[in-house]
Formats: sequence, structure tokens, C-alpha cells
Amino acid sequence: MNKVWRVAATEYLNAVRSKAFIIGVLAVPLIMAISIGAQFYAQKKTDVTPRRFAVLDRSGQLYPALAAKVQARTDGLRAGGKSVSVALKGQSLKVDLPPQAEFVVEEFKFSGDDLKAAELQLSERVRRKELFAFVIIGPNVLDPRATNGTEVLYHTQTPTYQDLPAWVENTLSGEIRERRFTAAGVDSKQVRELSRSVTLLRLGLAEQKATGEVVQAKRENRIATLVVPVGGMVLLYLVVMTSAPALLNTVLEEKMQKISEVLLASVAPFELMLGKLLGTVMVSLTLSALYLGSLTWVLWRFEQLSNVPGQLFAWFFLFQVLALLMYGSVFLAIGAACNEIRDAQSLMFPVMMVVMVPYLMFIPVMESPTSPFSRGISLFPPATPMLMFLRLAIPPGPTWWEVVLGVVLTTAFMLGCVWASAKIFRIGILSQGQAPNLTKLVKWVFSK
Amino acid sequence: MPPLLSADLKRPAVRLANVTKTFGSHTAVRDLSLAVPRGCTYGFIGPNGSGKTTTIRTILHIFHPDSGEVEVLGERSTRAANDRIGYLPEERGLYKKMTVRRVLAYYAALKGMDRADAAKASTEWLAKMGLSEWADKKVEALSKGMAQKIQFIAAVIARPELLILDEPFSGLDPVNLEVLRAAILELRATGTTIIFSTHDMAMAEIMCDFIFMIYRGNKVLDGTLADIQRQFGEDTVRVGCGGGAELLRGLPGVEMVRDLGQLQELRHGDPQALLRDLAPRTTVRHFEVCKPSLHDIFIRIAKPDLQEMQVPKTTGGGA
Repeated sequence: MNKVWRVAATEYLNAVRSKAFIIGVLAVPLIMAISIGAQFYAQKKTDVTPRRFAVLDRSGQLYPALAAKVQARTDGLRAGGKSVSVALKGQSLKVDLPPQAEFVVEEFKFSGDDLKAAELQLSERVRRKELFAFVIIGPNVLDPRATNGTEVLYHTQTPTYQDLPAWVENTLSGEIRERRFTAAGVDSKQVRELSRSVTLLRLGLAEQKATGEVVQAKRENRIATLVVPVGGMVLLYLVVMTSAPALLNTVLEEKMQKISEVLLASVAPFELMLGKLLGTVMVSLTLSALYLGSLTWVLWRFEQLSNVPGQLFAWFFLFQVLALLMYGSVFLAIGAACNEIRDAQSLMFPVMMVVMVPYLMFIPVMESPTSPFSRGISLFPPATPMLMFLRLAIPPGPTWWEVVLGVVLTTAFMLGCVWASAKIFRIGILSQGQAPNLTKLVKWVFSK
Repeated sequence: MPPLLSADLKRPAVRLANVTKTFGSHTAVRDLSLAVPRGCTYGFIGPNGSGKTTTIRTILHIFHPDSGEVEVLGERSTRAANDRIGYLPEERGLYKKMTVRRVLAYYAALKGMDRADAAKASTEWLAKMGLSEWADKKVEALSKGMAQKIQFIAAVIARPELLILDEPFSGLDPVNLEVLRAAILELRATGTTIIFSTHDMAMAEIMCDFIFMIYRGNKVLDGTLADIQRQFGEDTVRVGCGGGAELLRGLPGVEMVRDLGQLQELRHGDPQALLRDLAPRTTVRHFEVCKPSLHDIFIRIAKPDLQEMQVPKTTGGGA
């Protein structure tokens, strides 16, 4: 056992001292920081050149209102930058909205009925950069029963710019709706009040204490019921899948560099395999401790830690270890059996299909955690670590016997994987020549 | 050769008794018995694929024999003695991304050596091999010769009682070869038993107390060089004459002419008759009847392999 620990310690130190690990640990927060920074930078670089547009109002009634709204918008922008506040318990984050370009509107007077000539004339002005866009308001736009001439046409040479057409559409829609109500003799304020949508409050269940006191149902907390279960499961999957497949490369590299034979002169194949497996478990636990530690700090800082049940951390680490030993031993066996990364890839395919099961199945499990399907799939050992964890994280969680059965089945399956992998590892690690196929691997498992 | 005590011979460092190892339908080693006395240098020779590496791996318990018994340093059929064995495999393997010092520390740790002892030993060995300034460099920065010396240090750092060296000199320049040879002889002088697998017959002749040859999985030679040479008689002649190898090949009774440049080595059942044949044909500058060299003996035994490249395989077994 001493040698197992020596191999494990070396594997662990080799991994955590490597640039790849440090980059890997920093990658997620770094990518997030870079993307947030890039967004802020890009916002500052927003082109805020005023967008001048002309309006040909064929209805003859809407231009003054539109011009007034443009002016109001400009005044608002000049009054100061807009911001939104995100309030979490005890903390408030003020986020500045990106700067916006001012709009400048002018009316295009149109006499005669040659609309095509007007369109062409305005188009030429856009091409000459005198205008950014022009708008033609249909003559019957205020008539709700009309079938022709009801559209508002927006012409531009820069169709990717969304602010102006979106603002024109919203503003004209609002204005036209108000005018239609007035024309129909309906009080628009009353319509808004009468058509207000209802608010749906999501709640848990009421409880009765031992004292007989009834405790009211609490409002559902989306952090506790959605973010924690899904986030936890994805993190579990992430830390397992960033560590376990690396075992394949390590063993394959040692085999290709002829290190395996030197090692096997000192340690038994099973000791070597177990040492590597434990080393990887330690690396992965370090990774998850770092990530979970950081997340816990963030949740504590924003007073959201109460949404994460304490025992969930224990389940996280237990299922992480089980998954790593299960998947890791299989990856080790494949690495030992192959001589080239190309051979390993073909054997990896069926394994990856099984490994992907929890990722592919988590949505139906999340939506209905107690359905027969969810219960069944979370007892399928390769999927148990992720899916049982997900079910445990969604209140009220599975029944105790399901959890116990899941852990027992997964442990038994994991031991089976380690045993079979050890048999393959023992033969494969010194094998040369053509890579074995699945049939041959099965033969190796049952060989003496 | 240092005197070997009878007690040592009774308790050999390695004892294989009727060991057979097969891989599928191929028998790599057949009914092999071997005793390597303590404190000697035992040369393993044989053509490629004859079973040398399988024998070595069996001694190291990397392979388990199908039948027979393996006893190493008094431990029977277990890996218990492996910490007392140093092994330099033919195909070198070092972690390229690790520093020299850490590689040596790891290999020493796997042999059960404590950290302080390993650090001290690695400093001493690096100094002895002229590699002190490379201690904190990554292995990938080393030349092939340097890496080979590091691999050798990795094999001997834990002061093994039995050292197995598979082609230790391949690829080394003469200067590094001498450094390594001196280190091996020093270890032998301190009582380390050395198993030395090589294709360099001249090196085997000068370094080994005993020679073991395996051919097609069978033991075909086992003994001291003198014993082996005695088995093959004094039918080897070294001749220096006008006409050289071309002339000699045309003479009756001449077999296996090997051109050594200034001299030619050949076999002849009656050297006196050969001299009589030569005298009227050419000027004989050198004529020496000698024992067959290990190289010659190797060729005599392994020759069928070369012939088999042209004709179908006939039977197994040794020469």
C-alpha cells in the first residue's frame, strides 16, 4: 500500500504543479472575467454617432408625435446615462447600460403621387450618408379595418443596427394604438388596467409542526430549486470529466515512452493502477474544493448560502469519488491496452456514450424527479453519481432507500470496473502491436 | 573472475527451475533452468525474439511463468525481492517533463528508499556521471547519452543486490561507454550481482563471468566462456594472406569465413591441412589456431535463423 501512495503522491504533484492544471483551475473564472471585461470594453466602444432619419408620413397625422418622442428621448439621454440595479439580500449591484446614439428626425414633404420617385430620392440621400434611414408611414395606418396602406416601411443600408427600427416600431405602435382607442371612444387607461396580467406566485408546501402550529408555505426560491441542483450537477460532471479522461493520456504516454516497464519492475500492475487512480481522485478533489470554496464564498457574500443544504457538499464529494474511480479505471484500462491515441479514440467512443447518459438525461429528471423514469435512470450506476445528486439537490429529494440503493449499486459497479480494468491493465500495459478490440478486452478480463 | 564460494553457489541470486512461458500459441521460454550465482556478472545473449526479455521479465515477476519456479534473492515466486533489484530495460523510459532530480527521487521512492537517502545517492551518482549541473533540468533537455546515464542511475540508485542491464551500452559514445562500464565494474566489485543482456559479443566476453544463451526459447549455452569455448573445440583459424577472404572461401574444408580486415577468421576441421593448402597458393603473413570467439559461437548457433529467411521453417529447438 505504501507504493500505491507513492505513485498517487507523484501523480498528484505532477498534475497540480503542471501549467495545464493551473491554467485549468483559472480557466473558468478567467474566461468569465475576460468575457465580462470584453463586454464592458465593447460597450464603451459603441458608435454613438447620431442617427438621422427622414419620415414620410402619408397618414399626415403621426409625424409631430414621433418628432416629439424623438426629442424626449434625446433629452433623456442627455440628462444622464441609464443604469439598472440588481438587488440581492443586503447587496446591490448597479450596472450601467451601454451608451445609446441619439436619433435626429426630419420630415420628408411629399407632393404628388410618385412614391417610387420619393423612395429613390430618399435612398440616394442614404447612399450619400446624409441620412441613416428613412421611414414611410402608410396612409391607412390608423384605420384598424383597412387592408392596404397600413404598413410602416423602414429603409436602411445598415440592416444590422437594431436600435432605430426597434424604437420606431415600438413608438409608432404605442402612438397608433392610443389613437385607435381614442377614435373608438375607449379610454386607453382603463383598457390597460383591465388587461393587466395576473401574477403567479410559486410556493412550496405548508407544514404542521409537532406543536400543531401550521407553518405557511414559503415562496419558491429559484436559486435553491434550480440554480443549485443544475449548477451542482454540471460542476460535478465538469470536475469528473476534466480529471478522469486525463488518465488515458498519462498511461498511454508512459507506455509510448517505455516508462511502464521501469515502473512495473518496482510496483505490481494493480498497485500502479490504483496509485494513478487515487492520484487523480486527489487532483479532482483539489479542483472541486477550489471551485466549491470560491462558489461558497460568493454565495455567503450575497447571503445566499442558506439555499445550499450542507449535506449536499458531502453528497457531491461522495459521488465525485465514486464517478472518478468508476470512469477513471475504465480510461486507465483503455490507455493501457492501446499503443496510439488513435486506437484509444475508437475504444473511447462506446465509453463516452455511456458517460454522456447523465448529461443527456438530466432535463427530464430535473422536471420530474420522482417519475419512474427518473427513479430508474438514477439507479443506473454509470449515471447515478450525477443524476442521484441532482435528485438529492431538488427539494424534497428522493426517498432514503433509493439513495442507499444507488450508492450500493454504484459502489458494486465501481468495484467491478476496477477489477476488470486491473485485468486489462495487467496484460495491456506491456502489450505491443495491434490494439485489441472489445472482444479481446473481454477475453483479457476473464483470462487467468 | 573473483573466487566464488560454494555457499554462494548453493544460494544463487536467481534460480529458475523448469520455467515455461507461452503467449497464445507461441512459446517464448521453454523449460528453462538457470542459476545465477551471487556477486557475478552473468551475460544473457541470443538473437532478437529468442526469449531474453521474457526471461528478464520473469525474473522481475512482471510475467508469471505458466509452469516452473522462480526464486530471486531468496524470495520464491513473489515480488518481495523487487525492491532489491535494479533494472535498466532495453527501451529507455524517463518522464520528459520532470526534472532529473525528481525522476530519480520517484524511482528511488518506488524501491522503498527514503527521501533523504535518495537525495544523497542521487547527488553522488550525478557527480560520478558528470551530470551534477543537469540535476534541476528537465529530462527533455538532455542528450540521448545523458538520458541513458540518468536511466542507469535510476536503476542503481537504491543500491540493488541484483542489477539487470538490458543493452546498457547501446547508443553510447566511447567516452560515456567507459564511464558506464567503470560504474558497472565498481558495483560488481562491491558484491552486486549483474545480469547483463547484450548483442555485443566482445563486451560480453570481457565483462561476463558466465554466459547464458537462449535461442528460440531454449537454453543453448550456459557456463563460463572457457567452458563454452571448450565445447566448440579449437577449429577456428585466423589467417592473414594475399588474396584474403576471396581466396580462402574457395579452399576445401573452409567454413564460415569472417573478414576482419587485415585478418580473416574461419573454421576448418584440420588447420594443418589448411596451412598446407595455402602455402603454394599465396603468401601467408599470419596463421593462428585459436578458440572460437563468442561471436563465432553465436553465429554458429543462430545461423539457422538467417537460412530460414530463404527456406520454410523446419523445427524448433536450439543448435
